[in-house]
Amino acid sequence: MAVTEWWKNTSCGGRRSAFMVFFLVLLLHCIAILLFTSGFLLTRTELPHHSQCSDVSQSPCGLPDRSPQGDHDGVTCWTKPAVDRLVIIVLDALRFDFVAPSTFFEEKKPWMDKLQVLHKFASESESAARIFKAIADPPTTSLQRLKGLTTGGLPTFIDIGNSFGAPAIVEDNLIHQLVQNGKRVVMMGDDTWTQLFPHHFNKSYPYPSFNVKDLDTVDNGCISHLIPTLYDDDWDVLIAHFLGVDHAGHIFGVDSVQMIEKLQQYNEQLEKVVEVLQSQAGRGSLHENTLLLVMGDHGQTINGDHGGGSAEEVDTSIFAMSLRKPSITVPPEFDASSCKLDLDGREVCISSIEQLDFAATVSALLGIPFPYGSIGRVNPMLYALVAGTWNLEDYDMSSSQSQLKLEEWMHNYAKVLCINSWQVKKYIDVYTASSVIGFSVDDLKHVADMYAQAVNWSDSLHDVASCKDEACRTSFDALKKQIDLYSNFLASVAELARTKFTEFNLRMMGIGFGILLISIFIHVLVIKRVDDITVFPSRETSSVSFGLIVSCTIVTARACSFLSNSYILEEGKMTNFLLASIGMLGLRHSIMTKKMIFEATAFVFLISILRFTIELGLSKPQEVLDFHSWMYVADLMPIVPLIILACLLYKSIACSSFLQFFEEVEISKWGEMAVMKAVAILSVWSSTLMILSGKQGPWIALASVVGGWLISRLKGLEQDNKNATTGLLALYSSPVTQWSLLASCLFFCSGHWCAFDGLRYAAAFVGFDEFTIIPQAILLTIETYGFSHILPTLGLPILVAYKYSSNEAKQTRQSLIQLFQVYLIYGLIMAVTTTFTVLCVIIQKRHLMVWGLFAPKFVFDVVGLILTDALICVSSVFYFIQT
Amino acid sequence: MKNKKKGHNIKDITRGDAVVQNLSPSKVLLSHLICGIGLASSFWLAINIYSINLIDNPASTLRLIWLIEVPVVVLLYSLFRKDMNQSSYLKAVARGLLGLPVGAVVHALGAIVLGAPVGTQYFLRTLNWSLLMSTFTFVPAASVYGSSWVDWHRIFAQTKPIGSIDYMICLPAHGAVIGGWFGAWPMPLDWERTWQEWPICVTYGAIIGYLVGMLASFCSAVFRVSSQHVKGD
Repeated sequence: MAVTEWWKNTSCGGRRSAFMVFFLVLLLHCIAILLFTSGFLLTRTELPHHSQCSDVSQSPCGLPDRSPQGDHDGVTCWTKPAVDRLVIIVLDALRFDFVAPSTFFEEKKPWMDKLQVLHKFASESESAARIFKAIADPPTTSLQRLKGLTTGGLPTFIDIGNSFGAPAIVEDNLIHQLVQNGKRVVMMGDDTWTQLFPHHFNKSYPYPSFNVKDLDTVDNGCISHLIPTLYDDDWDVLIAHFLGVDHAGHIFGVDSVQMIEKLQQYNEQLEKVVEVLQSQAGRGSLHENTLLLVMGDHGQTINGDHGGGSAEEVDTSIFAMSLRKPSITVPPEFDASSCKLDLDGREVCISSIEQLDFAATVSALLGIPFPYGSIGRVNPMLYALVAGTWNLEDYDMSSSQSQLKLEEWMHNYAKVLCINSWQVKKYIDVYTASSVIGFSVDDLKHVADMYAQAVNWSDSLHDVASCKDEACRTSFDALKKQIDLYSNFLASVAELARTKFTEFNLRMMGIGFGILLISIFIHVLVIKRVDDITVFPSRETSSVSFGLIVSCTIVTARACSFLSNSYILEEGKMTNFLLASIGMLGLRHSIMTKKMIFEATAFVFLISILRFTIELGLSKPQEVLDFHSWMYVADLMPIVPLIILACLLYKSIACSSFLQFFEEVEISKWGEMAVMKAVAILSVWSSTLMILSGKQGPWIALASVVGGWLISRLKGLEQDNKNATTGLLALYSSPVTQWSLLASCLFFCSGHWCAFDGLRYAAAFVGFDEFTIIPQAILLTIETYGFSHILPTLGLPILVAYKYSSNEAKQTRQSLIQLFQVYLIYGLIMAVTTTFTVLCVIIQKRHLMVWGLFAPKFVFDVVGLILTDALICVSSVFYFIQT
Repeated sequence: MKNKKKGHNIKDITRGDAVVQNLSPSKVLLSHLICGIGLASSFWLAINIYSINLIDNPASTLRLIWLIEVPVVVLLYSLFRKDMNQSSYLKAVARGLLGLPVGAVVHALGAIVLGAPVGTQYFLRTLNWSLLMSTFTFVPAASVYGSSWVDWHRIFAQTKPIGSIDYMICLPAHGAVIGGWFGAWPMPLDWERTWQEWPICVTYGAIIGYLVGMLASFCSAVFRVSSQHVKGD
């Protein structure tokens, strides 16, 4: 027979040849994905250099002015320090609309206007306080944002993986500069800080941040240390990082009681903080020259998710308040603020700041060197808020004086910008020289021209600037022009860096995609060959069946749908739609042949249940039902499917042992053995999964078992109908397609979606209280891919073996070939889907949603594909044993 | 007008009743035209008389369409009833009307399995939509075949139509269902148009599919006649 001959010829054992094929595919996929990822997921070279105080002598800006008051410590570094002490209160995931008055938005939502204290101070004209809308750069995860805030750079997507390990920042950063320049830093709250800066803090009170369910530990820790520390004088910079709002968002969503309670709590605490600061703000007191910053590191969506680049996630806020009283009014050219009355009739103005500018601005205010890799610009509004306060006591507030004062400020600001531009220019030059893929020559030249223009202008200005009094009136416009030139230069550098750090290596991506296509080609070739071999050449056969056409259509439709962001967003419903379509066709088929109508109906019914589960899973678990009796019922319900599962397991084991006991021949049958093995391995995996996925676990396990059983049964429909006249491909394509669609439906049913905030971090803490990366990453992977990849792949032999467990013994070899073919088809479906995701990422790489939607989808699919390939390899070793 | 047509058709059918019910292409065209005109007039009525349209008032417009289309279809297809000798015209009409709710239930269930939204605000829309779909698929079949399971099975499960009446029922019905299936595809897109809502674009898809199906049925009738001529020669 051709079949057996092939099976013998290809290798000494079918097992090895099958393994080799699957391993080859796995290898190809790995290479392709590695290459593609290296081109797509952006990396940035971190430079090891650090800024030094003495560097400033190389700048064209001249040495900084000596402070007229006489410096306390005698040294002025890059810029003249404007504040002595800094209190930074970071409220994680602070949405812009938590801070800004509700009048700034179309509609007042329950969570708005809760931080009243900020409105109060921002509106008081005699207090130097202001609310800023801070725009973060994606990826908007806490680690990336803290890194971005302190280094003044643009952390790239590839760092997201580090969010678990939170490795120390080696790049030059704000905290390093603070320590380097003798500032004492105290930290409290989120322990990510101590992981990022392990040796920098004088004192730190870290609290574990990864237990998302815990709303209060970090905050209470902060609160208990914050106020007492404010009375101490042994620090210069205080950082307090509150996590409650972030966690409340993740667990309950923004529109929840817990969120509002958190915000009210913050309001109280902020009020206390300001009170303490103000009580000490007198001349010569502790907080005479202190700046308070209350800021968010990123925003969050209504569901409490963040990580992407949507406006809700990117927009956060900074509230700045200087304890020195009046500040100057910045000319409207630099001031892009908008003012509105809030609900209490107070006028609140809101300016805008890029988070990129944070490091540079704070460095300038504290008078320390800017971090080496910072590409931000000193923000005029924030700088004016504080740095306008020099020597103000010396001036009367008459209009002519205020004009003079303004000019003085502009002179200062121009100088700061000069240093700022020089530092940024130096950075991009060094970056280009030392990193593998630097900036392009054209871009560099353009930026260098802008810089040269600005510097030339400043040289011409220097002569004028030395004058004083009325003669300098003309220099006002010149100064303004100067500031504009520097600002333009810095803006274009930021622009350039944004494109640069979001630029893709197209060649690598192309090669990766090419290899992926080749692997698919090989896949198809092998499938074709196996199909040809199993078809008996003597008989006239049709290798194409209706089922095959339908499966191809469905798989292609699903794959093509990944080219659009809308379909990726609705992927759960999409998959369910396709599964329902194929299920209904199956129902029609069963009505046609008048067989297994019950099974087909049950399958359609199961799909409709899955459909509702997906919709439920997409919305966050809302408030628990009020009735206690209902809660008990909800708690007890999962026991029902658990019992059913136990019964099924008992039955299947009892059956096989029964068969073993009475008919010793049966055990030699491959099908029987495969079913036993599959049942054994599935029950091992599913128990783990059920523990990890909580209450819904048993339900989904039951659904997958029932679904798998129904598909296997329905396969018999086609088999009986067509007998041996069709090839294996035609026979198995439809059931395997159903199998894979069901698998991805289960992914969405279990409440997952293709985004990093769709990960169930809680699963990583089942059985662990502490955070340890490896076991928890494994747990998280199992939980995420368990029902959608692990169980279906390992359970696939049931599909083949089902027929044989009850029928007359067929040749083991043939069933092995069938299994081989089934695994090939399954792998092909996965590979095609992933290839289209990759194609979509290539096409949409400039899309607004690329980091929010396509990149996570890409990562999920790619990991899923590799996992499936690896599992197929394992299965080929496990199942392909000839007896 | 209707009486005149009735006389024509009966004559035609009794002639070809022996083995396969065959209608001349002109008859097929005429009956399809009547269905099409029924649809068009319902749209015209909706827009010009009641000043409602499918996009803004889907439920009421759908109701208007099926209210007009049902009598047209029932009265028309009852003329072609299969068991011409046993059952009267009125009985066929009654069968067709009975088929309407049954078909609606089937279509509503199918739509919900495929992901149609459920909820009180969608109830009326789904109800009217499924009644319309039933008008396209179940009602003509019920009028013509009655409870003949063999015929239903042949048309809808096996898709093996024999005579031109079979084609007249089978092709538009399949066209409507397939068109509706394709019509659902734009729904998830983020264009934020009102017509993307359930069941507007599905209805459009179904109607287009239905029209295409009628066209195909007419073509098949023409083709069959011409091939018969060839055979005759």
